Amino acid sequence: MIDSIKYKIQICCGTMCYIMGGAELHLLNDHLPSNLKDKVSIEGIPCIGKCDTKEKHHPCVKINGEELNNATSQKIVKQLLTLENNDLL
Amino acid sequence: MTYYNNAVITKHELLVRLIQLLDTNKLLDDIDRIPLEMRPRTNSPIRCCVHKDRAVIKYKLMALLGFNIADEQHELTPLKEYAEQALEGYTQNGNFLTVVDEACSSCVQVNYTVSNLCQGCEGRPCQVNCPKDAIMVLNGKANIDHQKCVNCGICQKACPFHAIAYLPVPCEESCPVKAIRKNADGIEEIDFDKCIHCGKCMTACPFGAISEKSQILNLFNNIKHKKEKTVAMVAPAILSQFKASSAQILNSIKAVGFDEVMEVAEGANMTTDHETNELLERLNSGATFMTTSCCPSYIEFSEKHAPELKPFISDTPSPMAYTAMLAKKRFPEHKAVFIGPCLAKRTEVYQNQNIDYVITTEELGAVFAALKFDLVKTDDSPIVSKVVRPESRGYAASGGVTNAIKTILSSEHNITTELIDGIDKKSIRLLRSLPNKKVTDASFYEVMACDGGCINGPVNVSPLKVSQNKLKKAIQEIQSEEAAV
Ligand code: FES
Repeated sequence: MIDSIKYKIQICCGTMCYIMGGAELHLLNDHLPSNLKDKVSIEGIPCIGKCDTKEKHHPCVKINGEELNNATSQKIVKQLLTLENNDLL
Repeated sequence: MTYYNNAVITKHELLVRLIQLLDTNKLLDDIDRIPLEMRPRTNSPIRCCVHKDRAVIKYKLMALLGFNIADEQHELTPLKEYAEQALEGYTQNGNFLTVVDEACSSCVQVNYTVSNLCQGCEGRPCQVNCPKDAIMVLNGKANIDHQKCVNCGICQKACPFHAIAYLPVPCEESCPVKAIRKNADGIEEIDFDKCIHCGKCMTACPFGAISEKSQILNLFNNIKHKKEKTVAMVAPAILSQFKASSAQILNSIKAVGFDEVMEVAEGANMTTDHETNELLERLNSGATFMTTSCCPSYIEFSEKHAPELKPFISDTPSPMAYTAMLAKKRFPEHKAVFIGPCLAKRTEVYQNQNIDYVITTEELGAVFAALKFDLVKTDDSPIVSKVVRPESRGYAASGGVTNAIKTILSSEHNITTELIDGIDKKSIRLLRSLPNKKVTDASFYEVMACDGGCINGPVNVSPLKVSQNKLKKAIQEIQSEEAAV
């Protein structure tokens, strides 16, 4: 099972991200297309230090270590699909 | 009830900014800069222009500071002056919602509109069937005369092209008791003779035009400058609202500067015991049914809309009220602060002399965010009270009260129960019918104004499903920790 995980998603659970839309990201699993479900692991991580009312990067997510700012479930899924497609090429 | 949308995020950002400014002692100097910073000229405006956007932010801030927008004396009064007063605490009057009229006024007067799908057909069933003669055809397209239209919807049903659309007014539609409607200027107004503070309009409005009057500045200022001692009474729903262990959440609340922290679930123990006895007594003496009393919005509903229900509502104090009694005994010098997911608790607290402040999940979250607390890195040492039964924390979700009562009822009592999960038009009909029935379907009704219970309160930060999972996990964690000791 573990081997099949291709995408490691880390959702910032720092309070700023969490109240600025990050809470919603914990429903990500419901938005994943079925062909991706088994390939994705989702975990919460502490604040990654990108939260700031001026910069407005929140909510933040990392996909395989790469940061995605202003994340939404839709954005994450889109990014996963792009990665998946690139892989097929 | 938090649906992810930008209006909610704006509210959270406003709270965070206010608290950041207060924390860094810049509130009075910089509060008037918030609208400029949040709505810079470089962004494309959300409404007609940047000035409108900034005005909206200004008035939203005013509302959060505890002011009725309608009471504005002078348009040029800077936010600073309002902030100065807010730090002292505003004078409460029992109404805790206010409409930000600058943000409102954008919704339709008439719910029906003709889209460009209109073919201007010969039959014109919309026109022929309109009972008010409100439809004119101009340039081959139907038009609705707003002066004449009475929102009956016949034209929409009659149109074979589905060219007539229904545009709801979200706040009006969400209000279960018809307490919000447009005034002569087309701006929504809340009728406080009817309002039950369920908060549904507030979460429904996609412009964030309905705001609650917050006490957070006043409280946070007092805590920061140690002007008074405080005891935080934390509702069990709070444990479902942040991604950290219960101990971390409670320890973080303490770290904000509260001197003592208590779980409202401790009071829920007492509510359960008392309410169970009360139920048995009432049924013994011939009552057909009894309902719960812990949801303040339901209580306000019964007072304003269904006094016939009153005799059937339990007299047992709510978990918050019991907790406040304990708090007064244990910490007689301290100001009691209820921290919870509920708007209506503000009205309950307004009538309860043992409690001084109400803070919402959103406000608590904003404090954590502004102070840059990382909950998962906070002290995880146990702080929860050992006397709290797990079912008492379960009060936070619908069905929790029933479950708690059933756990202590012995099996020979055959109590039938029913859950009223959310006050809406349908459940109101059911509730109203109960007092007249000789036999009711159940003998115990648990009534929750929010569907899903307190974890779905209007001032929460987590979506319902996330909260449900988190609450379960929190209760289990505490149980296994206690078992381990
Ligand atoms: S809270 Fe997410 S980066 Fe700090």
